[in-house]
Amino acid sequence: MVNSNANAMGILFPNSYDNMVPDLVTERLMASIPFAGRYRMVDFVLSSMVNCGIDNISILVRQNYHSLMDHLGSGREWDLTRKNGGLTIFPPYAEKAVKIYHGRIEALASILNFLKAQREKYVILSDTNIAVNFDFEDLLQKHIESGADVTAAYKKEKLPDAMLRAEGAAKGFYYTVDTDESGRVTNILINPKETDEQNLLMNIYVLDREFLIRTIEKAFMEGFVYFERDILARNLDRIHVQAYEFTGYLARISGLRSYFDENMKLLKDENLDGLFEPNPIYTKIRDDNPTRYINGATAKDVLVADGCVIEGDVENCVLFRGVKIGKGAKVKNCVLMQDTIIEEGAELDHVITDKGVVITEGKKMVGTDTYPSFVAKNKRV
Amino acid sequence: MAKEMIAMLLAGGQGSRLYALTQKLAKPAVPFGGKYRIIDFPLSNCVNSGIDTVGILTQYQPLVLNEYIGNGQPWDLDRLHGGVHVLPPYQQASGSDWYKGTANAIYQNISFIERYNPQYVIILSGDQICKQDYSDFLRFHKEKGAEFSVAVMEVPWDEASRFGLMVADENDKITEFQEKPKNPKSNLASMGIYIFNWDILKKYLIEDEADPNSENDFGNNIIPNLLRDGRSMYAYHFSGYWKDVGTISSLWEANMEVLDPEHSGINLFDDDWKIYSRNSGMTGHKITGSGRVENSMITDGCRISGEVKHSILFAGVQVEEGARVEDAVVMGGSVIKAGAVVEHCIIAENVVVGENAVVGAMPADGEKGVATVGPGIYVGDNAKIGPNAMVKENVKGGEVQW
Repeated sequence: MVNSNANAMGILFPNSYDNMVPDLVTERLMASIPFAGRYRMVDFVLSSMVNCGIDNISILVRQNYHSLMDHLGSGREWDLTRKNGGLTIFPPYAEKAVKIYHGRIEALASILNFLKAQREKYVILSDTNIAVNFDFEDLLQKHIESGADVTAAYKKEKLPDAMLRAEGAAKGFYYTVDTDESGRVTNILINPKETDEQNLLMNIYVLDREFLIRTIEKAFMEGFVYFERDILARNLDRIHVQAYEFTGYLARISGLRSYFDENMKLLKDENLDGLFEPNPIYTKIRDDNPTRYINGATAKDVLVADGCVIEGDVENCVLFRGVKIGKGAKVKNCVLMQDTIIEEGAELDHVITDKGVVITEGKKMVGTDTYPSFVAKNKRV
Repeated sequence: MAKEMIAMLLAGGQGSRLYALTQKLAKPAVPFGGKYRIIDFPLSNCVNSGIDTVGILTQYQPLVLNEYIGNGQPWDLDRLHGGVHVLPPYQQASGSDWYKGTANAIYQNISFIERYNPQYVIILSGDQICKQDYSDFLRFHKEKGAEFSVAVMEVPWDEASRFGLMVADENDKITEFQEKPKNPKSNLASMGIYIFNWDILKKYLIEDEADPNSENDFGNNIIPNLLRDGRSMYAYHFSGYWKDVGTISSLWEANMEVLDPEHSGINLFDDDWKIYSRNSGMTGHKITGSGRVENSMITDGCRISGEVKHSILFAGVQVEEGARVEDAVVMGGSVIKAGAVVEHCIIAENVVVGENAVVGAMPADGEKGVATVGPGIYVGDNAKIGPNAMVKENVKGGEVQW
């Protein structure tokens, strides 16, 4: 066979960390949160996989997934409309004895038959709460070279505030790892509270498909729920887990403020390039026209998608597709999701508006840098 | 399954009056309006009018056009039955031929049309910027019981002699055709868009092909022959925006008109009549702290740190700090380096304008040339390109061209 594809399939968990951004997921899930002007969170990992020759990708949705299905469609924009493989969305499989899953083990157990029928030697698992241009090819190669059972990607970074402040497991689980000199994981810490730089897992794993099937089958029988907590963390002596350090740019969404900050960070060229280079990120096409700046508009330090019409003043903002800013409106330090309309004379500072929000004429809204105001989807202020 | 009407799009024109822009590019593939190519307009019109089968007749420099059209998916023309088909001249048992004229191009593809067994065929031209509902044109054609209809625009009488003119009676029935006459009897200019009953078109194409003296052209041969035979011919009045962008100045002007949809009539912001195009896939555009944008259209992927005024920037254009762009059309991927000045001009795709270089000039003293820099050109630092220049070769640093 011509070796143009990776010998790996991808599995995404689009609902992971929904709990961290309750405001943003009332009518969607983590994977379909709009990000960086014209994308949804899922686009980044999905495109990265495709760019690395992975063309068999499954998405195990749990709830609130209509927006994601609408976004992904047949998978054509990611070149995933394939006869073999391509994009598969697995909705929860309702059965009398099966409840909606909580952790990865239960989710994977529900698709064991599918997993058994696939041909790729390796499986790559990932969440969608991180926007990243990830080199899965390198990860896979390092995994094969090390001979490990599982390779887990991490980044050296400080734990996000939202994780440090979370009580118990209320916001879900996150993990940091200790490694030996060879990079083998010696310890996995669950929801630690250290405030200095840690090896924080990105929840991106590569492992042998048959190993995954065996492990999940057994763990599910024994009633386990969480892959990291219940399988990896307690079997590090038997399972060789190798750590893979990611040193590139990533945007991790861990709360409304982090959502705001991560969008704003993209106003710096080095961050924008870090996220969108070297490989392209694909997304659903909307066929918007170019953005129009009408006489009297001013714009400074902005990231703007196509389809906007700007007549007012914008500064330090991220504008998604189809945003309209009326005459005399002043918009500063804002993230305005697609089709937001700011009417004439309105003034906004430190505000996030969800999709389709209308801020009516002359209204003023002010949030702060540590607590941006949020206007929910399709609301009229 | 028969189709009621299919479209044949003439896209083989060389567009020689666009000079540097069409040296390696068919005219319908010339970029327009920030993220489109000219051919997006007739293709989108087809889809928006309910036509799902389009043959595109190509001949001159078809590579970019072929790649751009691909399987037609961006226009929703990837269909099981029908869809978009690029039709270059091909070899047949009896030999092969380039398309000799517009009528000959259709003649050579009679078998393509017959596959769909249409009642009507609409002939479109691939070099016009126009939003037109072809289904309304067809309604007119059927109501009049016409065998041939042509879309016409009223033009000012003093300009009428530049056009092919249709002389029509009060029922819009065509009585005479004048090709660029000295003494116009009508001000109804043909837009080069025709609807034929397929049986009639086929008959006249075969007849025309058999005539060795024919130029095989719709305007010069087919239409006069229809008139000669007293066929039922009607003129359909179109009053929307229409622009033939066959020259540098008309292409520049049409782009500038996009910036003023309220007055110029071309509105790309029309959700009911979207113009589709193949997407650049770039991320949103960025304007930095030192950037200034005034009355312009900016497309995904642009990075602006300089000053942009009354201009159209295509996907991925960079304007560095201290650079100034005014009244300009800057096509995809071009870079305007620091301190450069780009005015009243067309910069084609992937051009680099070096530091402190000057391209074009604002109109002065009756001088209103549109400087044009061809695709992939490198204009060196401190070079100066005059307002009438047509740049087809790289320009060395400091060089002056008029």
